Amino acid sequence: MLVAGLVVAGVLACAFFVLTMARSSREPLPEHSANFANGELLFWAGGCASCHAAADAEDSDLLILSGGRSLNTPFGVFRSPNISPDPNFGIGGWSMLDFVNAMVKGVSPDKRHYYPAFPYPNYQNIEIDDLLDLKAYLNTLPPSSNEVAGHSLQFPYSLRRGIGLWKWRYLARSRSDRTNEASEQIERGRYLVRGPGHCGACHTARDQFGGEITERLLAGAESLEFGEGNDASSAGRIPNITPHAEGIGGWSESDIAYALETGFDPDFDSFGGSMVEVQENMARLPAEDRAAIAAYLKSIPAISSEAH
Amino acid sequence: MATVALGATTYVSFAADELAFANQIEARQSFMHVYRFNLGLLGAMAKGDAPYSAEQASAAANNLLAASKMSNGAMWPAGSDMGAEGYAGVTWAKPEIWSTYPKIGEKGAALTEALEAMAAGAGNGLDALRSNMGGVADGCKGCHEPFRAEND
Repeated sequence: MLVAGLVVAGVLACAFFVLTMARSSREPLPEHSANFANGELLFWAGGCASCHAAADAEDSDLLILSGGRSLNTPFGVFRSPNISPDPNFGIGGWSMLDFVNAMVKGVSPDKRHYYPAFPYPNYQNIEIDDLLDLKAYLNTLPPSSNEVAGHSLQFPYSLRRGIGLWKWRYLARSRSDRTNEASEQIERGRYLVRGPGHCGACHTARDQFGGEITERLLAGAESLEFGEGNDASSAGRIPNITPHAEGIGGWSESDIAYALETGFDPDFDSFGGSMVEVQENMARLPAEDRAAIAAYLKSIPAISSEAH
Repeated sequence: MATVALGATTYVSFAADELAFANQIEARQSFMHVYRFNLGLLGAMAKGDAPYSAEQASAAANNLLAASKMSNGAMWPAGSDMGAEGYAGVTWAKPEIWSTYPKIGEKGAALTEALEAMAAGAGNGLDALRSNMGGVADGCKGCHEPFRAEND
């Protein structure tokens, strides 16, 4: 009996070990000659500076990706890492393959899982050539020797190995493949929204384990970023951006593109909260990319906001 | 369905009326509406949805400038933030307004500065109006980014 129990426990421990291993890809990368302008576009579309530059950074300081911003959430405090090209404190020592594994698999060069506060479930949708351009661009930015403390998470979220199980359940369902049914413009918009733009990271509601609920795609969510009150009472509600009447169904495509360019909604209220940084990133994209985002957002299913 | 929705709305406004700072919150939200209304007049011209009129643009810009110079501290009593009991869903004002005071005053001064430029330029043609919209947007976002929670 005791032997049988030990065997079962052993099998379970092995299964946990195998299931939660951090798997990275060793497939060779394609030949690529870097397009730095495209890398810069990806940098703004991806909102890298909004988590990795200092909280009060403006203009050229947005290019110093020293990390250290804290994100106070129901799971605990996440601190964004230094992703400047510094070889010791940043990611200057990473190979292209290291970078691709981080962005697509959520795995670090030393084979540990990243927490999905880093939006790799969205970033896995970025094309490989775009990832290579982005890394080439990041390599040109100023190095920073800022040393960032680790996350301070509550149990059981503090068990990094558990992310392996999380990935089995959630990672594949966040994939957004081309449909080839929509226009080139809508496909470009889908790519920007579901890939680099990672709009769903805030605008799609998450379940109790922090996985995006795919049936509620972009239909709004409780904000997971706590304010000074340090609980849900100090977090806002992220708007529904589907074409539902409770979302932005009343906005035209040009209203959406104008809002992303200027920060003014159709009623001439300004964006606020964390959307301000997102909008200011989007304002740096070519106008046709903002129009593509608008066209895609008008094409997705209209979903009612969750009951408050 | 309509009855249910109406019932819910009535309940919310009734509950808000019971709050100690209902009057102040209504006043400041109406005050923001005056900004949006005048900005909408300028914005419609900037977007090309309405024909440019130097006279109407100047009038709207001067209204905005006058609004930004109004003393409105009495509309923002301490304890009227979204985290205070009963205020969730009534206001989205974050407690940081009060805990970082007088930072909000600096933000207000920056908005007034942007509106001075808009008031000086709005009557000088569509290009001048358009070139001042970004500064005004920055002025609005100056407070809305740190001090207003997201809401839908």
